[in-house]
Amino acid sequence: MRVRTEIVGIGQHPNETVVQIMTIDGPEQLVVDQQCVQQQSLDIGFPVGQHDEHYLIELPRETFRGAWRVWVDRSMIVMDGEF
Amino acid sequence: MILTDREIQLAIVKQLIIIDPRPEAQAISSTAVDLTLGTYVNEFKNVQLGTNELIIDPSDRDFQLERTLAQISEKRVIDVDDGYLLKPNSFVLAWTKEHVTLASHSRIAARVEGKNSLARFGVGVHVTGQTIYAGFVGHLCLEVFNYGKVPIRLRNGMRICQLIFEQMMGTPGKGYPLDFLSVRMKDTF
Repeated sequence: MRVRTEIVGIGQHPNETVVQIMTIDGPEQLVVDQQCVQQQSLDIGFPVGQHDEHYLIELPRETFRGAWRVWVDRSMIVMDGEF
Repeated sequence: MILTDREIQLAIVKQLIIIDPRPEAQAISSTAVDLTLGTYVNEFKNVQLGTNELIIDPSDRDFQLERTLAQISEKRVIDVDDGYLLKPNSFVLAWTKEHVTLASHSRIAARVEGKNSLARFGVGVHVTGQTIYAGFVGHLCLEVFNYGKVPIRLRNGMRICQLIFEQMMGTPGKGYPLDFLSVRMKDTF
């Protein structure tokens, strides 16, 4: 599965990019390798938790505020191949 | 469980570990793979915000890590002839030449460690013990500090760190569909 992201900046390394993910607590940003961003989304494997319409997902890297896992709305999750 | 050289090479052949460019034979030791320094370092500069000293607040909702780094550091290209001089008590960010991928299904994690040959002169490559996990993609960002008394010349392509691969016990939760995990809670964590 993938989570919808928005590219919001460039990283310190030419191969890195800054992406933003909308969590239920607001936007979170993280640096990822450019290869990881495909069709404005990041691979997150499967969600690791669920509560009503919210999914707990693990990101491929820490957010700027140090989080690996964040809660997102179900609408932010995209099945592989579903674009 | 730490992977031996044969297991590392097997994992590379099976593309559970992808290192590009592929390490030369002499870069692989019994339990580690040496990686080399890339082309850039980020050098930190003294910053004043008007008359106020800049304070970084990582917990602030509006904290922008990359933007802050861009504000307080400058990218330097490591000179082909002269290298980059890492002075005593100075700190830079650097990246490996190699692009590393640990396949999501690999059940392999890796620890980034420094080189003893550099450590004996006071050069460290991480502020915190850096571990990368299955699913990692990218160049490794190193926090390089010279704790010693003598300037160290860093050169593009020099051995700068080593990766020690470990087998994970099982696949993490994100490797299983939710229904399989029977996890439906918000307050448990």
